Amino acid sequence: MSKMPEELIREKSERLSRVMELKEPDRVPLSFASCFGEFMARYSGITVDDFLFNYDKTRESAVKFASDFLHDMLVLAPGAEGFIFSVAFSNHPDIAPLVRFLTGPMHDILNDKYTRWPGRELLHNIPFQFIGGEFMSLSEYDDLIEDPVEFIIKTVLPRTCGTLEAPGSQQAMAALVRLGMESLKFGSFLGALGADLARVGYPSLPITFAYCPLDFIGDFLRKPTGALIDVRRVPDKVKSACEALIKPILNVALALKPAGANLAFIPLHLNEYLAPKLYNEFYWPYLKRVIVELYNNGIKSFVFFEGYHDAHLETILELPRGWGIAYFEKTDIRKAKKVLEGHSCVMGGLPIPLMVSGTPEKIEEYVRNLLKDVMSGGGFILAPGVAEIPGETPIENMRAIIKAVEKHGRY
Amino acid sequence: MGSSPLDELVDAFVNLEEDKVLNLVERLLKEGGDPVDVLEACRSATKIIGERFERGEYFLSELVYAGEIFNRVMEAVLPKVTKEIKPIGTIVLGTVQGDIHDIGKNIFKAFSQAAGFEVIDLGVDVPPERFVEAVIEYKPNIVGMSGLLTLAIESMKKTVEVLKSAGLRDKIKIIIGGGRVDENAKQYVEADEWADQATIGVRKCRELISVMA
Repeated sequence: MSKMPEELIREKSERLSRVMELKEPDRVPLSFASCFGEFMARYSGITVDDFLFNYDKTRESAVKFASDFLHDMLVLAPGAEGFIFSVAFSNHPDIAPLVRFLTGPMHDILNDKYTRWPGRELLHNIPFQFIGGEFMSLSEYDDLIEDPVEFIIKTVLPRTCGTLEAPGSQQAMAALVRLGMESLKFGSFLGALGADLARVGYPSLPITFAYCPLDFIGDFLRKPTGALIDVRRVPDKVKSACEALIKPILNVALALKPAGANLAFIPLHLNEYLAPKLYNEFYWPYLKRVIVELYNNGIKSFVFFEGYHDAHLETILELPRGWGIAYFEKTDIRKAKKVLEGHSCVMGGLPIPLMVSGTPEKIEEYVRNLLKDVMSGGGFILAPGVAEIPGETPIENMRAIIKAVEKHGRY
Repeated sequence: MGSSPLDELVDAFVNLEEDKVLNLVERLLKEGGDPVDVLEACRSATKIIGERFERGEYFLSELVYAGEIFNRVMEAVLPKVTKEIKPIGTIVLGTVQGDIHDIGKNIFKAFSQAAGFEVIDLGVDVPPERFVEAVIEYKPNIVGMSGLLTLAIESMKKTVEVLKSAGLRDKIKIIIGGGRVDENAKQYVEADEWADQATIGVRKCRELISVMA
């Protein structure tokens, strides 16, 4: 007896809202996410190039995946980190959300130096890579602090995007028009994908996006290592820059509020690099303000704590109870659940090596043991340690995960 | 107190006081100090920093900064070196084909140079053939292959195979490094060692050359 899509959507939405409210749902929700699409492409028999450059094929591939691997929450964005473009248009709420992800076609239009793509700078059929780079000198912190949006538009984008290198030129104007056209296409793709997924019983996530100011500096302006050195050499300027970035970041996140967005995804990067002293001085205060400000605006946060966040776990307790979802990569998930019990919704728990090279039996045993330790009290979402299903994950391992949650995740 | 300027240098370096380190180095060299002693002091300092990292007292933020300080010390010291400094070994290093991540590689490079290795850095996205050429040209003791992406593991394996068919595998030790390598990856790639942290990699390289000697 299979359930109607409407019923499935109701069930899953209820499951997710209960864990967000830190209550026990009927079963532990299972979430999958993907940006690279390697697994989905392989499973549905298309190339990674197609997954990333042909929206129709992306949709088909995602729907096949969602229909065959039943889970509760699918976060899919076939694009690279492009938050700087959102900040560049942060005073234009109609544009900012649409350029949040730098998709393959947008890369072709902008010729940006942040990313490399299959069939372009990379071989065919492998995922894109975000490489970032140093696009702002140490002496330009003052310009960034004075007006981050102007500085990004006038100085940074011409350096980072080949077709924007001569502002006001025919080439640059044409690139911006093309970016506009493409971002509309991407927007309607996301809408259509949402409708496709609803037909197979998946609720759409009312998601928006924010960023941690120091990560913004590391990812888009100074390289991660540059940002780490800057906090030593020009600490006050780094702090002022982080301060100045809060407003445009919030503007991006709030752009989708009128459309009903109530969950802001924030991927962290430098968190695991930083010693607690630096974390608490240069990183956390500004991230915390972003999260709290959004919370006060009715938007919860969905934070991906990359790598090991063990050293900073307790700081999360400074946030208001029920602030959102703490998604962990390599952090000890049992400890995280214990520390954040009754305060934050905890997500993660499936190690990537286990998914790739474990057996279905090992996976079941692992999930059983893990859920025994972390599911009580609710507030837990099971998910792979990174927001990606590795391309080489065996299909039977994916099935084993789903079966194990069904078997051992009931309350 | 009676601590020598070299001890002071080690302390300042371990505490990551960049300006103090550079001032001390400048003073030492100006006063006719042996550049080799300065390098030796930096070697001690980075060894202590590596130990602090492995004990969880230092984080990557400290390693990155230490690497930067070391590079600046080298800029000051190398022009003053008149006699040849014999390295404790030579490492040919690169991020393997298909992968362009270099943060880990660069930290490893600075710390292994500080440990006394000569490092030939081939950069990122290095094809297997380039590793072969470099092994022929520089006759290293160790080949270090770095990579962050899962596809890097395949590239590492391919590189080892190409080194094998060029008849060079027995002449070198191979270490793989990166956030996602582990014992399984080492066996799969047929490397001699692996490290998921730069400082551990340097320690293993020291062990590898002591075995070879």
